[in-house]
Amino acid sequence: MELKLISSSDIAVFVDGLLKAGKVVVAPVLKQSGKVFFKPVQSFAEVATDYIQTAFSAKEVVFPKVEELFTYQHNEEGGLDIKDHLDRIPETVVWGLRPCDAAGFDYLNKFFLQENPDAYFKARYDKTTLVTMSCNKCDASCFCTSVDSHPGDTKGSDILLTAMDDKFYVEVMTEKGNILINSNSALFTSTDTLSKEAFLAKPLTHFSMDEIKDKIQNAYASVEWKQASMGCFSCGACAFACPTCTCFDIQDEGTQDHGKRVRCWDACGLSQFTKHSSGHNPRNTQTERRRQRLMHKFKYSVENLGVVSCVGCGRCIRVCPSHLNIFENIQSVTK
Amino acid sequence: MKELQIKAAELLENGTVNLLIGFCEDLGKRLVPCFIETAAEANILVFNQECKNNLSVYLHKKEVKDAVKIGLVANVATLRSVLQLLSENQLWSLTLTYLTVNGAGELVVLRSAEELEAYVQANFPTCRPEDQEMLDKLNAMSREERWAFWKDQLSECVKCYACRAVCPMCYCTVCTTECNQPQWIKTSAQTSGNFEYHTMRAMHLAGRCINCGECGRICPAGIPVHLLTAQMNQEMEQEFGGKTGWSLKGGYAMNTFKPGDKENFIK
Amino acid sequence: MAETFEPKIVAFVCNWCTYAGADLAGTSRTKYETNVRIIRFPCTGRIDFMLLIKAFQNGADGIIVSGCHPNDCHYTSGNFHARRRWMVFKSLLDFMGFPSDRITFSWVSAAEGKKWAELVNETTDSIRSKGPFTDYRTLDYTLLTQLENEGIAD
Repeated sequence: MELKLISSSDIAVFVDGLLKAGKVVVAPVLKQSGKVFFKPVQSFAEVATDYIQTAFSAKEVVFPKVEELFTYQHNEEGGLDIKDHLDRIPETVVWGLRPCDAAGFDYLNKFFLQENPDAYFKARYDKTTLVTMSCNKCDASCFCTSVDSHPGDTKGSDILLTAMDDKFYVEVMTEKGNILINSNSALFTSTDTLSKEAFLAKPLTHFSMDEIKDKIQNAYASVEWKQASMGCFSCGACAFACPTCTCFDIQDEGTQDHGKRVRCWDACGLSQFTKHSSGHNPRNTQTERRRQRLMHKFKYSVENLGVVSCVGCGRCIRVCPSHLNIFENIQSVTK
Repeated sequence: MKELQIKAAELLENGTVNLLIGFCEDLGKRLVPCFIETAAEANILVFNQECKNNLSVYLHKKEVKDAVKIGLVANVATLRSVLQLLSENQLWSLTLTYLTVNGAGELVVLRSAEELEAYVQANFPTCRPEDQEMLDKLNAMSREERWAFWKDQLSECVKCYACRAVCPMCYCTVCTTECNQPQWIKTSAQTSGNFEYHTMRAMHLAGRCINCGECGRICPAGIPVHLLTAQMNQEMEQEFGGKTGWSLKGGYAMNTFKPGDKENFIK
Repeated sequence: MAETFEPKIVAFVCNWCTYAGADLAGTSRTKYETNVRIIRFPCTGRIDFMLLIKAFQNGADGIIVSGCHPNDCHYTSGNFHARRRWMVFKSLLDFMGFPSDRITFSWVSAAEGKKWAELVNETTDSIRSKGPFTDYRTLDYTLLTQLENEGIAD
């Protein structure tokens, strides 16, 4: 790990330099609706700075909402031309992630890159550098400290920046981060370890994963699931906004002559998610679907991949039309 | 507030209502829907101008319908939804009691469909000024500008179907989007598929939507989808007369016709 | 554009009037443009607006929707329902900025073979001058393709 400093005024110079070097920079942008989204920017001036959290996560950069896996076309010899564009993925920098988002990428990594790594995810992830900003403010939906993280966490980041008055403390965590810094190393000076505490937000801690890991073993049978899911009307907003939700659907679109195969986001909350072709649906009510979502995040991910797949970003609570509260629900079913 | 809590407790206590759907404040001070079954829980109820959710959407949920006798804390847009649903012969298995607060801040209890109709007609809401402003702005644009606007907006759609989920009028047990033989609407969030989805939805709601505006308000991507149905409703009122969510008798503009219907666009 | 663009026109017609009218144009040896592909329905009342959108999705540049004149519907009132539906659908398309002038609605009876031929010719000319409907087919960009098209990715 390298420790550096950069002045606040040089941040714009750095980012504009990355753009000039031909990198794609995806950063938070304020839209007309008043919400902030991760979008490609053309200059640092477009980057939003005064907000708590973006509406959707940045997972689209490595796991797009619609991804063309390949196209196919019958050729003159009677064969099939199959093309993908895995070799045309641009060098991308995701700027302005929050530590919870970076922890989300850490989970995505663990999920997609198991024994048979997902080639599409890998191709994008290998070309992506993650630059995270520590949080100096939070709201009532934030709960990273309950899920093994905190507002200054470096987990999953290539570079973590912490704003300290007129400068940024730069923690360069990986080789990818190093390469990025070296693209304009003159802007950075070395430093010793500094304390981030005074500059970090203090979200409420509702529980610890240590306590939950035990209590959740018996949560499946809890009678509280019904009340926890009453407000849910099975849309996919929470899953799509979530930085770690990875469920997808694959659809073929086209004719006998030409077409494409696409991968797109799917959500376990949608009522048809587990419907069988026989017509039977094992998760027929919202109670069962909500239980599945929460158990997956807090128990099954822990068992399968060793890490809780909720990062405490609070997006699900904010986007939910009824503001269903994941941490309150976890507390009530593990009482 | 206190009056509402007392009345709610009374209705639950004397068995008029088995399940009451209303609003309460969660730990983060957000106004969220709550579902209470005992008088003791009634003291969590809250109701003010900020309570915007259209709670009538829950009346389609199996877990709610099982209670049969249901109380609903509602603003006038929600009451209008219920009236529209009743005119479409929905909710016939339920016994509904409505609690609302009128313009003078007084608690009003409506115990029958007729009382509901009278109240809604006496307090009929008009188009919200900010929505009218947006509609006027869009209608003043050229066709190309409108296309650019909606193309930009609909490319943000992620097809979460939150707009459909919050809509009390979207109660089809198998939605067009879920039909895959043939695949009418693409499942993926490609812009053309998004365009198809929202067009389909606006057409299926034309003459039924009561303009609560929830679909646009809750869209996670910030798309003002409620403007599509708001525009359709205004045009249909102008062309065919009649108002949605006005009377128990209803009358759906799209399944009737008049000999004198406009046909100046037909060659 | 160097090569002449030949539009693809899809026609949704009712069996009893317009289809018969088109048939009459054929038996009368009336020549008209060949760009049209005719789809036969029992009645215009059966035409779902989604089918029109699907036609554009699948490559149509223009659409004709045609049926019996009011009061002449084989099923009495199917075309009245269709008329109302078309009016509402056209309003919606106009509001969304979709070029609804790429859709031609008409009443063509079984005796109007000549009218059918004229209708097809007029529509084909009009769509030919408007050009291919690429606006709609280029709506689908993934993040990557969008970046490529904006000249950012190589």
